[in-house]
Amino acid sequence: MKEFLEKHINILDYALASLWRRKGKNFSVFCVFTLVIFLLASLLFLSRSLLQTAETSLRLTPEITVQRLVAGRQESIPVAYGERIRTLFGVSKVRERVWGYKFNEITGANITIMAVPHLFLEEGHDALTEGAGWKGDEVGVALIGQGVLQDLDLGGRRSFSLFRPDLTLKPFVVSGIFAPETNILTYDLVVIPLADGRDLFGLGPEVATDLLVEVVNPLEIAIIAGKIADILPDTRVVTRPQILKTYKAVFSWRSGFAAISLLSALAAFIILAWDKASGMSPAERREISILKILGWQTPDVLMVRFWESFALALVAFAIGTILAYAHIAFFQATLFRAVMLGWSVLRPGLDLVPVVRAADLVLLFSLSVLPFLAATVIPAWRCASVATDSALRG
Amino acid sequence: MLPCLMRPSRFFAALLVALMALTLFLGYQDRQRARAAIPLHAVHDVLTREFGLSDLCLTTEARYTRHPAVSDDLAPFMDYPGALEYFPSGMFWAPP
Repeated sequence: MKEFLEKHINILDYALASLWRRKGKNFSVFCVFTLVIFLLASLLFLSRSLLQTAETSLRLTPEITVQRLVAGRQESIPVAYGERIRTLFGVSKVRERVWGYKFNEITGANITIMAVPHLFLEEGHDALTEGAGWKGDEVGVALIGQGVLQDLDLGGRRSFSLFRPDLTLKPFVVSGIFAPETNILTYDLVVIPLADGRDLFGLGPEVATDLLVEVVNPLEIAIIAGKIADILPDTRVVTRPQILKTYKAVFSWRSGFAAISLLSALAAFIILAWDKASGMSPAERREISILKILGWQTPDVLMVRFWESFALALVAFAIGTILAYAHIAFFQATLFRAVMLGWSVLRPGLDLVPVVRAADLVLLFSLSVLPFLAATVIPAWRCASVATDSALRG
Repeated sequence: MLPCLMRPSRFFAALLVALMALTLFLGYQDRQRARAAIPLHAVHDVLTREFGLSDLCLTTEARYTRHPAVSDDLAPFMDYPGALEYFPSGMFWAPP
């Protein structure tokens, strides 16, 4: 056992010295490999942490949301539908909600307007950085997110106006401002009383944007959703598990063009590594020949190549993964944010906690290091088995 | 030769140990951050329950990227027949 270990340590010494001798070439391979692993790991960690954020932040999202579809598009839903849903056994509450978007023509930002029946968040609530919610039937008040505060350039003012469909102005007084810690949910949000929402969007009291249904037993969500779809066939019924499933599909790292591009980059790198390893320089071939004349066997030469590739790949993998973690944890995924935010005018920050699972690291290792080893060791085996005298003669 | 007095394999082992220590330190930090985020979950629960919020505010460029969970399935492709989804954030994840 001791002999075996010593042999391998000696071979490792030789392999590392050999790497150092060709440091220019190896350093460039190391940098590119680290970069590819860094990008792939960043995407993987980012998708995982976004999914985790969705799962923790949206765990109390509406149990059932009912929307009306007309000619394949979402339309306002009659409030009377709520009465029919209330008659279903197992339904505890039906809330109507009016919501939509307002486009700020000056800044080009899209603001989400949410109108809810009643709301009370007391002063000093952790969700608010200033003010409070409203009580009872108050109108003309609003809770706004940090992004809206900046977009409307309110500064010290606490009032603003939005256009109705007929271009008359509807004034609001800011009753509270959401805390920055809630930006992931509220950055572009303006929450107003239901009556104000109807007035702002020009909707009558008989309709709402959608209906939120609460059920007595969460295990019956799917059954009640099915019953709603049966009695109201012109509706689309979205359940809480479906919302979470949507996020799972949306944030799957395998989906999306970015993942395809990065996997293609990895494939291109592996092909390059194969190409480099199969086209050995005359100096490398001479080195192998000399080693074989000195008594080294083909497996020994192969072992040197394996250790060279493995040492380089292992360090590149470790550094690439650590950098990816830092990219997500400390730099809010700066490189991907530009793509993620796209043409958004309101740009919420991403204060993410990276989620690193052992299974992801194994997956990353299998996707990057193993193909790299195969791509470098197999051509090296072909070169190591060349006739010694022909290689020395050049 | 390597510009150090120790054997290359020892230098390599030392490098691996250093990287492992850094990984453990980041793991510890990660746990601390996750623990610090726990009280925030209750705040998010209040907001999602009270307002019926169904989506994360990650990108605000299009309504289907702002609210993927409650948007029309056809929203990304409804500009004209055969239109492709073209918002930059669409390349990052699959359309709903």
